[in-house]
Amino acid sequence: MKEHLKECLRNFFIIVTCINLAMFVLGSIFQKGQQFGYEAFLYPLIYGALGSIPNLFMVKKEEPTLKQYVVRQILGALLCMVLLFVFMFGGKPITTDIMIIAAGVAVSVIVIFIIVDVVTWILDSKTAKDMTADLKVLQENAGIKE
Amino acid sequence: MTSTDKVMDLEVSIIAADKNEYVKIGCHEMDERISEIVKFVKLRQGNIEGIREGDKYSVPIQDIYYIESVDDKTFLYMKGGVYESGRRLYDLEEVMEPYHFVRISKSIIVNLMKVVSIKPALNGRFVCKLRNEEEVIISRKYVSDVKKKLRGESV
Repeated sequence: MKEHLKECLRNFFIIVTCINLAMFVLGSIFQKGQQFGYEAFLYPLIYGALGSIPNLFMVKKEEPTLKQYVVRQILGALLCMVLLFVFMFGGKPITTDIMIIAAGVAVSVIVIFIIVDVVTWILDSKTAKDMTADLKVLQENAGIKE
Repeated sequence: MTSTDKVMDLEVSIIAADKNEYVKIGCHEMDERISEIVKFVKLRQGNIEGIREGDKYSVPIQDIYYIESVDDKTFLYMKGGVYESGRRLYDLEEVMEPYHFVRISKSIIVNLMKVVSIKPALNGRFVCKLRNEEEVIISRKYVSDVKKKLRGESV
């Protein structure tokens, strides 16, 4: 459970960073002249929290296989899109503009989910490299040769 | 003169096949250097019982690649095949601890001396590539314990 929470927290910060970038890209495309107040600083945190909700509740006793993990990520991304759409467009009439923005948001969610996995992979690669280096030292100290 | 500067005479003699092999160390005191030699020798000793096709064998611990528990049975994976053990995994985990074995998942204990490299897998897990080309997964839950063990810290 502790490991799961740590992982969720790490993913949250990666997601927040990615949302900042996504807001910059989407805003530059769809609403160039938009002005914001200080509350705009909160949006990445709120969206990041929404994006982390699926992961937070998808804790399993058994660790998933690669296939299960991919399915879980796809479901997580879909759930995240639904939450974001409700939060951003809930109660508003569906117009062409909103549909275009929603498509942009959907693409951003997919990209962010992929980036989270890529960043996690890079961090894990570094950890694996350090572990292999420690392993070599341990084996050398125990007199084991390659 | 520090203990690492001291030169130790080394003598190896061939003894009769009917006598037990032995290592004898003559030292002025039990320093770190002597402890390391003792640890090294101890690491290369020890056998546990393994069963294959109904016959019992004495299996050298250092030759075991990993130990897996499947359906309440415990298996010892060696280069030359698989042996079953009558002991439980948690019991073997304790016995194997001084021999650089570490628990990497709910059902596997791996011999760190048989691991060639560690690579990332998806979802915070890692893959250990063994010297016999097999791969075993380090579960997320056990990663911090493995890290400690690799750094020589107690788990």
